[in-house]
Amino acid sequence: MTTQRMEIDIQEVPGAEGVAILHFSGDLISESVRRINECFSAVGKKGKTYAIVDMTEVSLISSAALGEFMGCRKRLIEQHGDLVFSGLDLEMRTKLNLMGATKIFRIYTDIRTALNSYKWEIERQPEKIHVSFPPYLKIVPPLRQLVSRIARQKGYGNRDSFRIETIVDEICNNAVEHGKPGADDLIDLSVIIDPDKIEIDVRNMSDPDKVASLTALLLPENAEVDKLKPDVKRGRGLTLIKMLSDKLSVECTDRGTSVRVKKVREE
Amino acid sequence: MESQIELSFEDIRGKQCAKLIRFIGDLDATNIEFVLEKVCNLINEGIVNIIADFKQLRYVNSTGLGILLHFSKTAREKGGCFKIANINENVYEIIEIIGATTLLEIYDDLDEATAALT
Repeated sequence: MTTQRMEIDIQEVPGAEGVAILHFSGDLISESVRRINECFSAVGKKGKTYAIVDMTEVSLISSAALGEFMGCRKRLIEQHGDLVFSGLDLEMRTKLNLMGATKIFRIYTDIRTALNSYKWEIERQPEKIHVSFPPYLKIVPPLRQLVSRIARQKGYGNRDSFRIETIVDEICNNAVEHGKPGADDLIDLSVIIDPDKIEIDVRNMSDPDKVASLTALLLPENAEVDKLKPDVKRGRGLTLIKMLSDKLSVECTDRGTSVRVKKVREE
Repeated sequence: MESQIELSFEDIRGKQCAKLIRFIGDLDATNIEFVLEKVCNLINEGIVNIIADFKQLRYVNSTGLGILLHFSKTAREKGGCFKIANINENVYEIIEIIGATTLLEIYDDLDEATAALT
């Protein structure tokens, strides 16, 4: 069986200065170790501390080559970086698993996912979501679940994710119910999730008569309004949002009403 | 795209005018009318002692909580009760924040709720 010569192509990522994507191809065997080492030295000299090793075109990896990757990873981690793999096919992944490497290396399905992880964990860049939706209540449940799932995926705990789901649900329901009668204007939901907090902004064209009562509810003296009346079926949403969040504000302009919430991560 | 909620109804052995209702899914603004109709019909038919099993109720929002308070009030007015059992901690927190734990009869499990039925 003939071996395929190993090739390495190094790619820089605009906007992510610390990252290098290393596209490997061919067979990564013991004879490749020296070149792998030289390649990572060159990457290190350019100040790159986070290496995404793209394995899409790799047909074979030996234990010697894997050992070299471990050594390179150790050096990158010492510089607060990492070496991660992407694009492994099932056969390669199974092999790495048998070699115990999946417990050491982080493996991503593709380069984009690996890059997103870098931006989140190393650069601590927030995840931004923006959705415009028509004013129908039935659209709110999938939206609230989407935001909650993303928060959970980003490492927020079960309790925080549930609270985030509740906040999104209550604000969006308010926006639908308190929208200008007869208006088909879209409601804008913007969410910024970062590792420490989540910010939610819901903007709609509100009924002017309802805006006054909405802002009045935010006054401290009205904090407990109606929340304990068992005969009242509605009107507790804003109270709930206030209790679950760290900051709540309402802004009314000629472009609509914007309800903003900040929720600090607790878990 | 409405939230999914299922209600199942069972008799409670040895108890008159009583039903166990199992809530399965999410209770929110998209399905309260459905739940309201089913439970109010039951109360109007004379089934005024109700135990709500929340073991599989994943989510409730302020609107959902509003109708739970309504069921409790209506059942009491007709000489019965609306008891809740097996509530998950996230749902309990919502009820607690609204200050409704004193208005609703909440029990750890079905045995406790059933034993409390008169």
